[in-house]
Amino acid sequence: MEQNKFHAIGRIARRKDGIAKVTGREVYSSDVTLPHLLFARVLRSPIPHARIKSINTREAEKMGAVCITSEDTPDIKYNERQVSIPEKTYRDRVVLPDKVRHVGEGFAAVAAKTESLAEKAMRSIEVEYEKLPAIFDPYEAMRSGSPQLYDEICLGDTKLPIESNIACHREVGEGDVEHGFKEADLVVEKEFRTGRVYHAQMETKSVVCRPEPDGGISVWPTTQSIHNTRQLLGRIFSISLNKLNVHRVPIGGSFGSSIQMNTCIPICVALALKAQKPVKLVLSREEDMYDHCKYPVIIQLKYGVKKDGTITAGELKTIVDIGGHNIQAYPLLGCMAGWFVSLYRMPHLQFDGTAVYTNKAPGCAMQGYGNPQVSFAVESMIDIIAEELGMDPIALRLKNYVGLGETFWGQGPTVRSVIRSCGVEEMLLKGKDMIEWDQRVSPDKKTGRYRKGVGVARGFHTSGTGAPTPGEVIDYSTAMVKVNEDGSADFSTALMCHGGGTLEAGAKIVAEELGIPIDKVGISPADTRSTGYDVCTHATRGIYCGGASIQRAAKEAKAKLLKFASRLLDVNPEALKIQPREESDQGHIFLPGSLEKHIPVGEVAKMAQYKGWGTAIGVASHRQVNCPPCFVTNFIEVEVDTYTGEIKTTRAVAAVDCGTPINPDLAAGQLEGGLCRGIGLALLESTDYDPETGRLTCGGTFIDYKFYTPVDMPPVDKVKTFFADTYESSGPFGAKGVGEAANNATAAAVVNAIYNAIGIRFAEAPVTPERVLKALQNQPDVEK
Amino acid sequence: MDNTEYLRPSNLKELGQIMAGHKNRATVIAGGTNLIPQMRNGGKSPELIVDIGDIQDFSFIMEDDGFISIGAATTIAEIASSDIVSTFSPILASSARELGNPLIRNRATIGGNLANASPCADTALPLLALDAVIRILSPGDKTRNVVLNNFFHGYRFTDLGKGEIITRIIFPKPDDETTGSQIKIGLRNAAAISVASIAVMLTMEGKICRKARIAAGSVAPIPMRVSRVEQLLENQEISATLLEQCKAIMKKEISPISDIRGSAEYRSYVTAVILERNIQRALS
Repeated sequence: MEQNKFHAIGRIARRKDGIAKVTGREVYSSDVTLPHLLFARVLRSPIPHARIKSINTREAEKMGAVCITSEDTPDIKYNERQVSIPEKTYRDRVVLPDKVRHVGEGFAAVAAKTESLAEKAMRSIEVEYEKLPAIFDPYEAMRSGSPQLYDEICLGDTKLPIESNIACHREVGEGDVEHGFKEADLVVEKEFRTGRVYHAQMETKSVVCRPEPDGGISVWPTTQSIHNTRQLLGRIFSISLNKLNVHRVPIGGSFGSSIQMNTCIPICVALALKAQKPVKLVLSREEDMYDHCKYPVIIQLKYGVKKDGTITAGELKTIVDIGGHNIQAYPLLGCMAGWFVSLYRMPHLQFDGTAVYTNKAPGCAMQGYGNPQVSFAVESMIDIIAEELGMDPIALRLKNYVGLGETFWGQGPTVRSVIRSCGVEEMLLKGKDMIEWDQRVSPDKKTGRYRKGVGVARGFHTSGTGAPTPGEVIDYSTAMVKVNEDGSADFSTALMCHGGGTLEAGAKIVAEELGIPIDKVGISPADTRSTGYDVCTHATRGIYCGGASIQRAAKEAKAKLLKFASRLLDVNPEALKIQPREESDQGHIFLPGSLEKHIPVGEVAKMAQYKGWGTAIGVASHRQVNCPPCFVTNFIEVEVDTYTGEIKTTRAVAAVDCGTPINPDLAAGQLEGGLCRGIGLALLESTDYDPETGRLTCGGTFIDYKFYTPVDMPPVDKVKTFFADTYESSGPFGAKGVGEAANNATAAAVVNAIYNAIGIRFAEAPVTPERVLKALQNQPDVEK
Repeated sequence: MDNTEYLRPSNLKELGQIMAGHKNRATVIAGGTNLIPQMRNGGKSPELIVDIGDIQDFSFIMEDDGFISIGAATTIAEIASSDIVSTFSPILASSARELGNPLIRNRATIGGNLANASPCADTALPLLALDAVIRILSPGDKTRNVVLNNFFHGYRFTDLGKGEIITRIIFPKPDDETTGSQIKIGLRNAAAISVASIAVMLTMEGKICRKARIAAGSVAPIPMRVSRVEQLLENQEISATLLEQCKAIMKKEISPISDIRGSAEYRSYVTAVILERNIQRALS
């Protein structure tokens, strides 16, 4: 199928939420206001590890504040992320604990009539802490005799003892690696580390709750999954789901920070239930930075290769410092194994991952879910191998990549599917020309203060977590499409748009399927009562999985519409077609080849109403049975100032194989955004902790937490993006995902470019000017 | 913040009266980009805030009789886009363009940047190199002038006494033989606080440097002039050997600390690098 056959798919259209967003009229959680609203503040630990011996809230209550502590909240262990099946869900936390495990962990909360009164009341609470020894290094944490964060937690509903602070461990193997290494002509081994990056999503986590007269509660939260938020709240507070309504609210960015039901949500619900009034809780930036971060990893990577570049074996061992709570480390380790296995073919492979508790803010998914970290190591290593073998890095990649017809692990070992569309070669070869790869010279031929280098890295992400058999991860979506009586249509789904245009894509899918203009498709507000289950908008599944359910619902609505039209036109419904017509600004149903047999969509819907035939409506609840990889390739040029260690990014080519790009402009924007975050991971970002106080050294604000910005990016005309020309037959109109793929290859491309500039291999991110300068001072040939 | 009083005088006379009458408790606010975060963090809790945002004649950039005068409440954005500043003191214009982000530049004022007396105050360095003078309004309607080099006494501690307020900044128009350069090292381009920065003004007579002004930021408790380097340069031909000497002296004169933005070692090293680069740029 060719793209130019589409009238809506691939069209650049005005965003439906664009005007509201740029004029400040969009209503985010923190903008939701209700009569008699109270404002909440959470009392958070200044100590990294402590038992709360006593809490005195008398002063706060005298001020008129409603207060809650662990005694007022259900003693039910939960895990805020509910994407895995219960048997694979590690539950280690409660709404308000009596033991805190990192600075910034909340253990009491207040609600009062004004924000300042709430703040004052919160500060008046007297707390007696029993300080416990804290631990910040994962290796130290695993040592026997180290302070323990937990004695036991729950795996599903079963008690699970915790030893040596090991939250979970996962081993995956195929073949015999020792044998594979023996077959190799060259064995390379190296340790890689990535930083504890903060999501830095624009909107801090927020929530508004309103207790309802029937004993239920309505919630307006920052979340990527309204249904999981509802289910978790129902379980924690024993509220029947039909009385628990969670509204979809536009989200101010996420990068994965709200896959889970954020911990501020049940705290706010508990306050609202006690106060019997609506309560709003908006986290400060500092609170948000103490709430979550990207998983930092230490990776020991080993490959065996033949002289011709064929990989014979691969082994990846990783330690992940997950912080004070296990939000999703088990699936993370599985995914890391999957990313490793699916990058390059290895007849023999071994993965060994350990997630370790420390007294820091918990790690959670962040754009790529372990993939940028694994790709950082693997793609650095591929360049190392290429140099050792005297091969071109692109040729080595082309020789070994996992592609068409091969098996791909989309979400760990239990979610596998066969690759049916692949643009890897196209992207590497076209990108190579665009960056003028052939003019690249080796670092030893470079002189002068400023040295430029070009690097390449490739990668992919899964599109969703669907597979032919049910795995340990839940994945399906539900959608409803209906045709209105004027020829317009509405669709509803619990999918979320994080800013990348997921719902815009939904509208285009409906428009394309129904044959009506994009402008005539409305995105319905969604809440858990009026939509069917959708797992979560995560895992780059929005368009591929969510969009597929929308397409199926639209097909059903279309079938009904054509049935009605067939009665009116006296034509077999299967002979009819729909196309938008400019002159009437709606879709027209017609019999090809006939001048008389045609009727506007609105006319059909209206007649169906008058005649009592019903509404042309379709509902679909659908699981994709694949998780096709959306491949990505980055070429980046850097300029290293050998006098100061500063690194500028000067040119970039970013390409993605997302199948049919449904929103080409927004998908290109995602590529640029992914580059920006990926460069930040490589050069700038990490939340470090002071081992004395257990606090963030950046203080929890953007004054000293710096991420890469548009001003730091290469000039606009030096950033080129393109799409591989592929069609994924299992996706809606040939589409796969983009989101996370966009940033998975970037950090490796940056360090490969730095190597090409100055001949120094950095295996630890971020590569700060200080690290560069220190490394350069050991290089004799660089003038200082 | 609950018990803070707030006054907003509409002219200089009212301001003078308020400052004199409440000299022990008044804290002046202009853009608020320093004070508000300090109050939020609980570091400062002023009894009385005096907002100078309504005062006419407090925001101006004038060229007059060989001098440039800038009103204390002139925003950094106004300085960054001023033709007068760009023409006569490009290093002040460029340092203003590198301060904070557009939101901060639209609110922050030059008086506030100096009064806050942070070692990383971006505008302090070019102003030190330009031999700027600060005009101060004292209680009793008195006015006094302080050379900027004598204004910073210690870490966030200035020559401003109780009830005093900066009204304008004045510096002589550099002559045709004088050129400058300014470099700030930050962790990124956007909204970065300097890790180290230097501003340089050199007056040349042929190959001989007649006058040198070197100011360094983020490498000592205050934004500082580095007189020993200046003396080394003055009345000398600037050679590669001399630059090496300057770099060595520079490292001795500064006293950087290690913090999240950079280690003392790195700061010391790059300060010398950007000193050399600044001098070369000023001469080119």
